[in-house]
Amino acid sequence: MEQIIFWEETFFTVAFVAYTAAALAFFAHVALKKDIMGKTAVLLTSAGFLIHTAAIVLRVIESGRLPFSNQFEFATSFTWGIVLCYLVLHYAYRFTAVGAFVMPIAFLVMGYASMLPKTIKPLMPALQSNWLYLHVGTAVISYGAFAVSAGLATMYLIHLYQKKDNETKTGMLTAETCDYLSYRVIAFGYLMLTLVIITGAIWAKAAWSRYWAWDPKETWSLITWLIYSVYLHLRFHRGWTGKPAAWFAVIGFLCVIFTFVGVNTLLAGLHSYL
Amino acid sequence: MQRLFNFLTGLPLAIILLVAIAMYSIIGTVLPQGLSVEVYAERYPQFAPWISALQFDHVYTSFVFYVLLGLFVLNLIGCTLKIFPAQLRRLKQDYVMTPRISAEELFDSSINQEMFRSSLTKLRYSIQKTEDGFIASKHRIGHIGSSVTHLGIIVIIVGSIIGAIFAEEGFFNLMPGDVKSFPDYGFAIRLDDFYFGFRENGTVEQYYSEVSVLRSQQPEQTAKLWVNQPLSVDSLSFYQTSYGWASRVLITKNSGEEVMNIWLRKGESTFVQENHMTVYLYGFYPNFTITSEGEPLTMTEEMKNPHYAVILYEYGQHVGSYIVEPGQPIEREDFQITFQDSTLYTGLTYRKDFGYSFVVAGSAIMFLGLMFSFYFTPKQILMTTNSIKVVTRQNPWGLTYQIKKLVEASRIGKESN
Repeated sequence: MEQIIFWEETFFTVAFVAYTAAALAFFAHVALKKDIMGKTAVLLTSAGFLIHTAAIVLRVIESGRLPFSNQFEFATSFTWGIVLCYLVLHYAYRFTAVGAFVMPIAFLVMGYASMLPKTIKPLMPALQSNWLYLHVGTAVISYGAFAVSAGLATMYLIHLYQKKDNETKTGMLTAETCDYLSYRVIAFGYLMLTLVIITGAIWAKAAWSRYWAWDPKETWSLITWLIYSVYLHLRFHRGWTGKPAAWFAVIGFLCVIFTFVGVNTLLAGLHSYL
Repeated sequence: MQRLFNFLTGLPLAIILLVAIAMYSIIGTVLPQGLSVEVYAERYPQFAPWISALQFDHVYTSFVFYVLLGLFVLNLIGCTLKIFPAQLRRLKQDYVMTPRISAEELFDSSINQEMFRSSLTKLRYSIQKTEDGFIASKHRIGHIGSSVTHLGIIVIIVGSIIGAIFAEEGFFNLMPGDVKSFPDYGFAIRLDDFYFGFRENGTVEQYYSEVSVLRSQQPEQTAKLWVNQPLSVDSLSFYQTSYGWASRVLITKNSGEEVMNIWLRKGESTFVQENHMTVYLYGFYPNFTITSEGEPLTMTEEMKNPHYAVILYEYGQHVGSYIVEPGQPIEREDFQITFQDSTLYTGLTYRKDFGYSFVVAGSAIMFLGLMFSFYFTPKQILMTTNSIKVVTRQNPWGLTYQIKKLVEASRIGKESN
């Protein structure tokens, strides 16, 4: 068992180093416009992702369950979700530069995870349910998608800033592409967030007797959902693409981060273990 | 009037309401809810009058919040009724979408039309021939996506509000052998046993209540419930929500006369009139230890080393604090006080709320609507002898990107590839 813990922590650290190096390489790729840096960054991200997956698998072996039950476990899974969403996007469209705006977020969340206690505790009775995997699993993917969309939105905003001397292009991604990709990723994240809320309600009914109790965590997930609902409506019915949409994507992600970290540290509630 | 109707069913109000509901909800998460007026006055002296006036002490059941939700439902119904007929018309086979003025021209003079068309067929587009080309269509169902999503949300909100009005909820404690009857429902619940499931390290893994459902002239039905495993009896659901220890306190006189024989729970006390003595059970510790600060504590919930912490008062004055084992008497003048027979009791919550069925049904409808909206978005490719344009509302960039690649792959000379 100690061997497993040792390797889990080693793999976690190596993955963290790989993500950090990848973020730096992506920056170099965008700043110096060198393809080799981009390729190296993608390679580092992919390798880091595999090693990170191995760390998570080892933790699953150690604990006998998915790593979804405390702040560290969610933070490492959240990072995994961000990198997964980024890699799916990368291998679908091959827009390398996106990594320069997504991997720093992965680096920050992984850094946050590295500072948290990693002890494995058995699940308290309220968490002993298969709904845990559906509820938190969809949250990992949803939050990951929102992080990628925020990265794309930031990239769009930087395009606007650079517009005068650089038209609308940096590398191979136009501003319009950033805008649309950001929307598509938000649509996916929104669908997943809807599932997070629905599965949470069904689970709460079984565990606490009420499907909705206005607990701060569930209220903040609803607030996030409302913010993205406004985004989607303004985009389609008022033509809010481009700059306002990008700001909305960034604000929406800040809500996500607050739901994840802020609610736990600043507000008390039923989700106090997460 | 028409203007008011348009406003009530329009998007601007929808946006205002979404933002207002979000903002109002934030207040409920930041400000502690359900406290007394005095507590707010003490904690937030400057804002206390505002908190009461605007009902910020119970945001989610406040008049303002209900008005916001009511307006939101009205807006949603009105908006859906306005757009739904047009969406239904778009479901028809012969409906042709109009490309945007900015739609990119994807025509390539070297395209092999036949190959392009068959590629689209492979992508599950249905092809309609026109005079000078064809129209390829896919995912017509997506036209009604937003209406289906709205319908789901309406079902959730209306169902949950009506459900909450008629909901019944309660909580009760039972010791083994105790019965709680529900006369309105024609049955009673008896607790047969309550126990912990322990892990190897002595921590509690789960709480189990074994109960019997009793009905007149019917055999008893036994059932077991635990956290995350509620029990449904008719329209009521029972949930394992708490537990505790009850201990028998026996007060006798030195002559052997029994003065009192009752059950006490942690934090409860009993009063002996004769000498104005209050016996307060500060705590029960099934696996007793004492911290370095001198505080009594239980290491686990296993009954390995049971002890009681007891405080005595006479005429309201503290006269002694004791840590005793089961059966060990506390001597006080003419009285002997002993604690024993500690037994676990269960705490069960019951709830009846038909709104839940609406929430589940509404959620399923909403999810289906979102799938239609995002992943079954209507797409058309309009091809004539000298033009190829794509039409889609949701993601023209993505479709243009995809069809551009398809056009490239369908150029004459690419057949061999």
